[in-house]
Amino acid sequence: MAINLTRRNALKLGAATAVFAPSILRAQGAEINVGSLTPNTGGGGPFGPNITASHKRVADLVNGQGGVLGRQIRLYQENSETNPETAVRAADKLINVNGVVGILGTWSSSVTLGIMPKCQTAGVIQMCTSSSSDIPMADEKGLVFNFQALSPVWGDAIAKLAVTRGYGSYGLMALNNDFTKSMVDAFAAVVGADKVIKEPLYYNAAQASYRSEVTSLIEDEPDAVFIPSYVTDFTAVYKELYRQGYEGAVITTGLSVGPKFKEAVGDAADGVIHGLPVPPLESPAYGEYLKEAGLEDTGNVQHPFGTAGRDQMSTLLLAIEKAGTTDTAAVAKAIWQVTTGEGKRTVYNVTDGLAAIRAGEEINYSGASSSIEFDAEGMVLGRDFQLAEIRGGEDVVLERLKF
Amino acid sequence: MLAYIVSLATFVGFFMLLAIALNLQWGMTGMVNFGIAGFYALGAYTSGILSSKLGLPVGLAMMVAVLAGLAAGAALALLSGRLRDDYLAIVTLGFGEIVRLIILNEDQITEGPRGLRIAEQPLAGWVSVENYPLLYLGLVVLAVAVAFALSETIRRAPMGRVLRAIREDELVASVLGKAVLRHKIRIFAIGGGIMGLAGALYAHYVQNISPDVFLPMVAIFIWMSVIVGGAGNNWGLLLGAGIVMVLLEGSRFIGDIAPWIDAEKLSAGRIILIGVLLIVTLHLRPQGLIPEPRYRNKFQRKS
Repeated sequence: MAINLTRRNALKLGAATAVFAPSILRAQGAEINVGSLTPNTGGGGPFGPNITASHKRVADLVNGQGGVLGRQIRLYQENSETNPETAVRAADKLINVNGVVGILGTWSSSVTLGIMPKCQTAGVIQMCTSSSSDIPMADEKGLVFNFQALSPVWGDAIAKLAVTRGYGSYGLMALNNDFTKSMVDAFAAVVGADKVIKEPLYYNAAQASYRSEVTSLIEDEPDAVFIPSYVTDFTAVYKELYRQGYEGAVITTGLSVGPKFKEAVGDAADGVIHGLPVPPLESPAYGEYLKEAGLEDTGNVQHPFGTAGRDQMSTLLLAIEKAGTTDTAAVAKAIWQVTTGEGKRTVYNVTDGLAAIRAGEEINYSGASSSIEFDAEGMVLGRDFQLAEIRGGEDVVLERLKF
Repeated sequence: MLAYIVSLATFVGFFMLLAIALNLQWGMTGMVNFGIAGFYALGAYTSGILSSKLGLPVGLAMMVAVLAGLAAGAALALLSGRLRDDYLAIVTLGFGEIVRLIILNEDQITEGPRGLRIAEQPLAGWVSVENYPLLYLGLVVLAVAVAFALSETIRRAPMGRVLRAIREDELVASVLGKAVLRHKIRIFAIGGGIMGLAGALYAHYVQNISPDVFLPMVAIFIWMSVIVGGAGNNWGLLLGAGIVMVLLEGSRFIGDIAPWIDAEKLSAGRIILIGVLLIVTLHLRPQGLIPEPRYRNKFQRKS
C-alpha cells in the first residue's frame, strides 16, 4: 500500500492519532501553528531566552486582540541547544507534528543551515538571526528571512573605524567558525592586505590554553589585532594577550565583551574597541520593546537578539494577514510587501500593522532590531551598527552608523 | 504525525547501528570506545564529500565510507593494542576529537564550519518525494538488520566466545593460545565499519552536516543506549536505543501538553528528566533491561 506522505495527510493522521495527546488535536483545529526554535542553552544561551520571550509576547498580544485572519496563534517553542543535531529533530517535530507555517528564531548558522533541507522540502518559512553568507545560497525556494546583518557587513564597519585610527599594521585571529571567518575576510579587504602582517590565525572553541596562538599573533608586534569571537573564548584570549604584555589596540565584536567579559577582566578591559549591529535606539519600536520586556531605557543597547525575535513574529503575523492565507509561498511574498518598499505607511508594532492592513492600507513594518527591509534574497538590508570603546569598565559609544 | 514517526524511526535506526557497533567493541570484547562521534563523522564526511564534490554514485560513496570506518577502526586498535579501560577511553576520545578538528580546519575539503551540503541521496527518484522518507527508513532498517545479523553471528560463533574471554580476562585468553590482538583489531574494524555506515546514512538523510553535529555527546547517547538496554545483548541495545530516543524526543511533547511551562525551564527540565529516568532504570536494573544471556555449556543445558 502506498502511503501518500504529504504534509496535509500527515496532519490528518496526526489528528487521528491525537487520541493519545488531546492537546495536539486541539492545536490543529482553526489555530495557526508557529514554531520557535531558539538556542536556550549552549553557545547561544545568553541570547535564546530573550528571543523565545519576544516570540511569546507578540503571539499572546495578537491572540488577545482576536488573532490573525480570525484565527488564534498557537506557538510551539523548542530549544535548539545551539546544536544542529538536536535542532534537526526538533524541526522535524515542529514541521510534521505541529504543522507549523514557519520556524522562527534560529541563531547559529549551523542550526539554520542544518534544518534548511527539511524546511525547504516541507515548504516551511524560516526566520533567523544568522550571519553566514551561505544562507541565501542554500535557500532555493525563497522561504528564508534573515534578521541579522551578514557577517561581512560587520567586518566592513569595524574595519572602517580602524582605518580612521590610522593603525599601521594588523594581526588577525578568529574563532574558527563561518561567522567570524567571513568577517575576517571583509576586514582584511577594507584595511588592505598589505597591512595585515600574516595569514589570519583560526583557533578552535573551548581550548584549554591560547598561549601559542597569542604568541604567534603578536610576535611581529602589530599595531592592532582584530579578534572576532564569542565571549567565552575571547575572555581567555584576552587574558592571554594581557599576560604576554601586548600593548597595541584590541578590536573585536560586541558579542565578545558583554558584562561577563568586563567582570572577568576588570580594569584590563579598558581600551578594547568593539562593534555590533544594534537596534535603532531612537526608533519608537525599540522604545516599545523596552516597555514590553520590562526594561529601563539606559541609552545603551539591550537585547540585540530579543528585539529581532519581536520583529520575526510581528512580520510573520502581518504577512499572514496580508496574504489572507497560511499558504507559505504566498506568506513569503507578503513578507516583502509588509516590510519593504517606499511610500507605505510605517508601523512600529503588530497591532497598528494589523489594523492598517485590515483598513486596506499598504504598510512598511519598522522594527525594534532594525527598520527591516529585505533584499531579493530575504536578507535584512542593514542594521544600525555601533562602534564602542571600553573606558573605565563602561562602553563608550564612538559612533553609530545609521542604516 | 506519521511523517514524524517515520523520521524518528530513522534516527533511532542511526542510534541502533552505532549501538550495535559499540556492543561489538565494548559489550562483547570490553574495548572502551568514546570516539564514536569520530567514526560517525568519518563515514558521514567520506560519503558526503565523495558524492557531492567528486560526483561518485551515492551507493559507491557509502561503501567507501564503510571501508574508511573499517580502516580507521583497525588502525586505532592496532595503535592502542596494549591499552585497556580508561587508557583506551582517552585514546578513542582523542581520536573522535582529532577527526572533528580535522574536519573543522581542512575547510578546502570539508567546507569546515560552514557545513557540507549534500544534495545527493541514495535511490533518489525511485519513489515520489512524499514517499522518499519511507524508502529511506527501509534502507536504514535493512542496514540495521544486516548489522544485527552480523553481530549475532559473531556472538554465537566461536569468535564470540573468544571475544568474551578477552573481555573477562585478556591474559587468560592469550594464555589459552587465542590471538588477542588480532581479534581486537578485527572487532574494532568491524565496529568502525558499522559506525561509518551509520554516518553515511545520516549524512545523506539530513543533507547538511557540520562539525558541530559530531560532538562527544553523540557517544554519550550511544553509551546510554547500550547500558540501559543491556551490554552484550543485541536485543537489549535495540530496545535501549529506542528508549533513549523516545526519552530525548518524547519529552518535547511536555511543552505541547503543558504550554504554561515556559520554554526555557522546560528545556532544562527535559535534560534533568532524562537523567533521572536513566538513574532510576540503572538503579532498578543495573544489568540493563535485557541482560546478556548467561553462557551455558551443553551439560548445563541438559540439566
